[in-house]
Amino acid sequence: MWGIFLESVVIFKNYMGYHENHFLVGIYLFALLYLWLVERDKRRRAVFVYAPTLILLVFFCPLFRKVFVRIMEDSETYYRLLWLLQMSIVSAYGLIKLMGRHMRIGLLAACLMVVACGDYVYDSEHISRAENAWHLPQEAVDIVDMIKPEEGRITVLVPADLIYYIRQYSTDIELPYGREMLVSRWDYYNAMYEAMEAAEVIDTPLFVELTREYPCAYVVLKEDRKIKEPLTDYGFSVYGQVGEFVIYKDMTL
Amino acid sequence: MGLSVISLIFWLVAVPFCIGMIPANFIPPERRSPGFILLSGYFGMWALFELAAVPAVLWVEYHNFKIASAAFTVLSLLGAMTGVGLLYRNNKAGKPFFVRAKENGSMKNDNCVIKGRSLKTCALSCTGKLFTAVGIEWLLFFVLLGFQLYKAVAFSSFDGDDAYYVVESLIAQEADVMYRILPLKGGSTGLDVRHAMAVFPMWVAFVSVRARMHATIVSHVVMPLVLIPLTYLLYYEIGRRLFDRGGTAHPGKEALSESRLHREKLPVFMIIMAFFQIFGNVSIYTNETFFLTRTWQGKAVAGSLVIPAMIWTFLQIYDRSVENKQTDAGVWILLVCINMTAGVCSSIAVFLVCILAALTTFCLAVVSRDWKLLLKVGAACIPNVVYMAIYVFMAYSYLLQ
Repeated sequence: MWGIFLESVVIFKNYMGYHENHFLVGIYLFALLYLWLVERDKRRRAVFVYAPTLILLVFFCPLFRKVFVRIMEDSETYYRLLWLLQMSIVSAYGLIKLMGRHMRIGLLAACLMVVACGDYVYDSEHISRAENAWHLPQEAVDIVDMIKPEEGRITVLVPADLIYYIRQYSTDIELPYGREMLVSRWDYYNAMYEAMEAAEVIDTPLFVELTREYPCAYVVLKEDRKIKEPLTDYGFSVYGQVGEFVIYKDMTL
Repeated sequence: MGLSVISLIFWLVAVPFCIGMIPANFIPPERRSPGFILLSGYFGMWALFELAAVPAVLWVEYHNFKIASAAFTVLSLLGAMTGVGLLYRNNKAGKPFFVRAKENGSMKNDNCVIKGRSLKTCALSCTGKLFTAVGIEWLLFFVLLGFQLYKAVAFSSFDGDDAYYVVESLIAQEADVMYRILPLKGGSTGLDVRHAMAVFPMWVAFVSVRARMHATIVSHVVMPLVLIPLTYLLYYEIGRRLFDRGGTAHPGKEALSESRLHREKLPVFMIIMAFFQIFGNVSIYTNETFFLTRTWQGKAVAGSLVIPAMIWTFLQIYDRSVENKQTDAGVWILLVCINMTAGVCSSIAVFLVCILAALTTFCLAVVSRDWKLLLKVGAACIPNVVYMAIYVFMAYSYLLQ
């Protein structure tokens, strides 16, 4: 039970970004404590003080965590219980109560505190200027436009960089493997993935044999991808190039 | 393009607004507001979508999206017509749908009264007010909101889960099939009950089909333009419950000053909420991060819209009970719809809202010594129990074979 409790502590710290020196949780706990002391409306106390405190207790309760994981068959989503705290609403309410009549200066102080303790969401490495209306890399769009069949579906082998995007643009393109291969903790095995991504140098005969098992109508490789022998020696022809991606068509199909 | 925009306005504004008149009809006129109507309309619409889509997902194998879309179209249009019918009935009976709660001196001074004044005078007055004490704070809030909308449209946010959720929407749009094709790589598959019952991507697909727009564009561009303002509308309604006490019955000088102070708090609340969203990315797990980086996914809607909506509803339940220990039927309808929306968003959200409802209701029941509240909220959570029962049955039915 102690071990489970410590796991919950780690989840809490990860959620709050404690290890990256983010302290929004400090503002929240301060606001919660302040509301404990000053909130006189008993029904608001129930919603903004008692319920969040109970949620925190429940979150750290090892028995509850055991039940949650058993029911949901998933321990990775336990952090979502912390969504119930609604930190922003409770914090904003507590801070405004604290401001009293000094709204302007209070607002300025509150905003500065949030900026100092929080982290700017648009700084994320995952956010970049949109290249098109789909919000997908333009290379993925261009490649699909080039190879998309007029009717029916085809299987296409693409590098890991494009795996996430191809089917967001067209589901007429099927893939030998998908995102599941890119998440290492899911621990899937796929021979085609091993031949395409895991091998330092692509072993052409084995690689071609595997692509024809699906069969892949096109193979997309980065132009600097190391390969033992050129694919063109094995019945493929260069169909086109988009940026750093070279598209090969299997002429035997 | 023009037709797409008209269709989007119809399905994302007109239909939910009309549906929202149903719960609004069952609360007192002075408590109705466009915000309440639109929000409750959205929750009502998503509840109807659950009724239409979940049975089709579970028990129809071929073209189940077409069947769900047709059923939802009928249900939502019936709901919208019922809402309009109630509005018409009220007007015919001489009962106005909206009544200004605050007709005291304070509000008359602060509100722009268009009647008897030229539009130009009114516009100048409103512009002037934007730069007065309260106005400048509202202006700052709208700048923050506009900034978030600009970022949502002009910038793309990568999230690996899109390879599942967005592709599910696109499959439904392109192949008329819900949850029967593997989204990650293609090919047919059995039902993955855990994801299949959370039909939010199918609602996105429905909007895409009706608007004749690519589901990925609807997910990444249209949804943030709808869901971000809708979430702030919910925060506004929560703030109104907490701070808008301008409608005192006998406005003396002190009461007016108190009333003004409370109204000043509302934009301050909204600004702090906006700062929390923009700077809430302390980890990839927070609901604030989900809200602005994967707005279009059901779980983000659960964290930023459904769970706060529960809190909003609890504020309404006890507001009424302060007066006469009665909660309006409209609030209970809303609570049922919010519970059903949780199921539309994510299977885990159903469990989460149950926990929130149980703990908060327990606290409310203790402080107000109103034990019947437990039964009433419990009854409003019946859709969650049904959802979980179906989930368990479908997930473990192979054991019975």
